[in-house]
Amino acid sequence: MTAPAAAPLSDKTASRVASVEELRIHFDTKAGRLHAVDGVSFDIFDGESLGLVGETGCGKSVTARSFLRLIPVPPGTYAGGRIHFWSKEARQTGGSPVDLLQVPASQMRDIRGNRIAMIFQDPGKALNPALSIREQVAEVFYQHRSEDLLDGWNGTPPRPIRRAAGQRSGKLEWLAFKVPPLRSPARRLRKRVDDLVGDALAETQIPNPRKIMTSYPHELSGGMKQRVMIAQALACNPDLLIADEPTTALDVTIQARIMELIRELQLRHQTSVLYISHDLSLVRRICDRIAVMYAGRIAEIGQTRHVFHDPLHPYTRGLLAAIPSLAHQRGELAVIDGTVPELIDPQPACRFHTRCSYATDLCGRLDPPLVARPGLRPVACHGYASPDELGVAADQLPRLDRDAP
Amino acid sequence: MQIREYIIRRVMILPLILVGTSLIVFTLGRVGGNPIAIYLEHEMTPDEVAQIEERYGLNDSLPEQYFAWAGGVLRGDLGYSGVLAAPVMDVLPKRLAATLELSVASAIVAVSLGIALGTFAGARRNRLPDHLTRVFAISGAATPIFWFAIVLLIIFWVNLGWFPVGRSEPEIFESISHPTGVYTLDALLAGSFTAFRDAIWHLILPAVTLGYGATAIITRMMRSSLAEELNEDYVDAARAKGLPERLVLRRHARRNALIPTVTVIGLGFGFLLQGSVVVEIIFIWPGMGRWMADAVLRGDQATIMAYVLFTSILFLVVNLVVDVVYAYLDRRVVLGS
Repeated sequence: MTAPAAAPLSDKTASRVASVEELRIHFDTKAGRLHAVDGVSFDIFDGESLGLVGETGCGKSVTARSFLRLIPVPPGTYAGGRIHFWSKEARQTGGSPVDLLQVPASQMRDIRGNRIAMIFQDPGKALNPALSIREQVAEVFYQHRSEDLLDGWNGTPPRPIRRAAGQRSGKLEWLAFKVPPLRSPARRLRKRVDDLVGDALAETQIPNPRKIMTSYPHELSGGMKQRVMIAQALACNPDLLIADEPTTALDVTIQARIMELIRELQLRHQTSVLYISHDLSLVRRICDRIAVMYAGRIAEIGQTRHVFHDPLHPYTRGLLAAIPSLAHQRGELAVIDGTVPELIDPQPACRFHTRCSYATDLCGRLDPPLVARPGLRPVACHGYASPDELGVAADQLPRLDRDAP
Repeated sequence: MQIREYIIRRVMILPLILVGTSLIVFTLGRVGGNPIAIYLEHEMTPDEVAQIEERYGLNDSLPEQYFAWAGGVLRGDLGYSGVLAAPVMDVLPKRLAATLELSVASAIVAVSLGIALGTFAGARRNRLPDHLTRVFAISGAATPIFWFAIVLLIIFWVNLGWFPVGRSEPEIFESISHPTGVYTLDALLAGSFTAFRDAIWHLILPAVTLGYGATAIITRMMRSSLAEELNEDYVDAARAKGLPERLVLRRHARRNALIPTVTVIGLGFGFLLQGSVVVEIIFIWPGMGRWMADAVLRGDQATIMAYVLFTSILFLVVNLVVDVVYAYLDRRVVLGS
């Protein structure tokens, strides 16, 4: 495992690619309103990889999908907050960001797959079984790079060809591409697309990309399919890549190679990456910073090394202790007692207090905000608050011993 | 190319299936009644009956009888239709063409309408358009075809007079030649727009009647499979690529939703052939329907065997087309076999 180590980023000098502020996403269920994401805030800086970790159902995937507005509405609602996004141009010129939750649908489509791309958990499900790899990767170019497809044409290409390059052709036009006089320009467009698709696939070190192009998803292995997904996601050189558990569905032997590939391409393309994962050891190797999520909230956020060496939040401590390692002797695996709380119509309280061994009465009635206190990174726990801050007696605060993670 | 090999392989199997079909048709004919029943009368003496049996070769062994019949079929001799008092082969082509025209027309109605409505409803699951489509589809599947035919006749023929019954206006029928027996095709061959319009006009009511049930089934299937496909990850992945919703629906979801629907379409064609008997009788359509009904009632074996053989072939060909479309939509099929 030799993933290239990234230089630690200083939060002050790097510019932001995206900034999530107080994001709230609710789902209407029969039992009531499910607060899947409940006031989440974090920044993603230029060129960094941020890991969003947490157990299943903590809202990490929902957070990730909301970047591309892929939450089905209804039953979901974007109940509040903003996701600011700075494209490359905006960052270079110091322009203002767009709010991904507010932009009109047409602008959202220009961002999807172009400025922000996404890799899905199970490549076997995220590729369409009925379309060839070529067709699926080509779609991205047709959608976002139609001018590139018509590059090097003498004069203006015929109108049907221009329409085809923007994938606006009707069925009749497709028939016309099979006969002269449109046949040879159509072939030329096709060749150009093939070249671009081939290059995109070759970048992910797929052996024999020209052959892979003509195959269908069921003919490829899981690792190959994920490479195709990566090729498709990075085809337009996005500013931000969202990787939603990109290796969960893959064989353990391939996981590391895929992670290395993403890391390598990230450095080459200067792309920021938001990793969604429940696998702490994986995230540790690959991410510059980590945000730990619990029950729709961020518990703690900071540099990967710091979080691992000195976890502040009791949940993070439990999570790290639960990682089985080779150093452990055979025997009981560490667990966090209790279960994840119901997220339906939650009370104002620390979400973790029912499972937290440090919890006091205060934790059961007051929500700890995610704040950075002097000398500490942002953490949402009353244990780091001063009695004055909350206006309570010192003995009401949970007492965390800092040296025993 | 794989798909071409698949088609060739399927076409090569076809003759074998036909031989099997002919065996079944022949056996059913022997099991299901007396082959000379239509020629027998109460006044006949045993000698006369034996004479007829001798003439039709009924004293030969069954394999000999089968080969005599199958040989005849290959030579274009399907026997003599007692109901029509004419050789089957003289009547069959025209009747078959009429039935074919009707069932293909209603298949076109059912497939295009069914897929369009199913897509429309599936993309709007549990909203008003979906509920309305459901009402249409369930009533389509539940309405008896003879009742629906009569209702349409009363409204559009008797009261409004918008559509005619029968197959063609006599003077228009006389004006062009009919080499194929499919009137729409004949009109196009003759280049006569009047005849073509007339053929279509006569076709609409029976085709709609016959197609309604199949439309309902296809709509329901398309709707539920599209709604299911829309929950798949690849649909979100397509959206994440920035594709407009129109393409997400048409290129991604609908294509996959068509796979189960196409199977239903193949089976539905049998349903159409079955319904055509009733529809032909009600709309005075000179197809195989009425002829068949009479033949069955009076035990006209030669006609029944010819009918079963030809509808089986029709069904086989339709299902071959369905399988090829299926393989085109779902490449995993080609790989599997």
